[in-house]
Amino acid sequence: MSFFLPVLLRNLLKGPSTEAFPFGEAITPKKLRARISFDPDSCALCRVCARICPAGAIQFEKKPDGLEFNLWHNACVFCGLCALYCESEGLHSTNDWHLSHLQSEKYDLVERATVKFQKCTKCGKQKMPAPLPLMAKLYPGLPADEIERLRAMCPQCRKAETAPAEGEPS
Amino acid sequence: MNAQIPSLLSRLSTKSPWLYRINAGSCNGCDVELATTAIIPRYDVERLGCQYCGSPKHADIVLITGPLTVRVKDKVLRLYQEIPDPKVTVAVGVCPISGGVFRDSYAIAGPLDQYIPIDVNVPGCPPRPQAIIEGIAKAIAVWQTRI
Repeated sequence: MSFFLPVLLRNLLKGPSTEAFPFGEAITPKKLRARISFDPDSCALCRVCARICPAGAIQFEKKPDGLEFNLWHNACVFCGLCALYCESEGLHSTNDWHLSHLQSEKYDLVERATVKFQKCTKCGKQKMPAPLPLMAKLYPGLPADEIERLRAMCPQCRKAETAPAEGEPS
Repeated sequence: MNAQIPSLLSRLSTKSPWLYRINAGSCNGCDVELATTAIIPRYDVERLGCQYCGSPKHADIVLITGPLTVRVKDKVLRLYQEIPDPKVTVAVGVCPISGGVFRDSYAIAGPLDQYIPIDVNVPGCPPRPQAIIEGIAKAIAVWQTRI
């Protein structure tokens, strides 16, 4: 009896422990790994995500002006490896877990965006994009306008610009 | 009076669909989450009027987990035939939907919708209990249009 009364009192004061969901909001931890979000502006087209994805959920398709990123949420296992390995911070795990859907929407649950090739401002050749987060990691300490100028160039021109051969003016 | 009983039964049964669980070669992750939705008071799927039953002949909503392995395929299809119509089928986890990490394996006969008509998909590896409850709520909405 002495053990039971405090438990009864506590249960009376605390109310039900059942979550209100689906009749109210569900408690969702901030760092829950669920739906992956993709930002095409921060993609360097290195395609390490497609290589690392254990479920083969990420695929790249060739398009005339770039590469199309495809992520099928119905194959994604929320491991977060793509977000971990994405050096340019284009992939992130979000805590949006509302993924259940009717069978008619099965193949619509795709994250799709085309990442376009760019033209080098120096030599005019077609190049892969160099997103800002990646360039900031590669050239720490450089001013923002210098990084902007370098990321508009192709790797060869950038190399010539940042590490000139002996005898050349820098 | 006798004519009213079937209509009364169908009216009442829309409020309490019974759940039945088929493991089609699952790793048990999704099954643990299914058990969690029913047993742990924090989630409590029985608020929606659902109840897990032990026999396929009593089932209304079928929850299928696992990628449908070659060994278990015939047994799953036979079990599915035993469930009386109308029934609503829910694929729980990415495995029955797409194959998940087991996709393109020689041991996998799935994806499941090649053999069984699926109504609701709940992706996740495993889906969290709230996501399963959300899927069951969608399945109940489908169930009410069928009966």
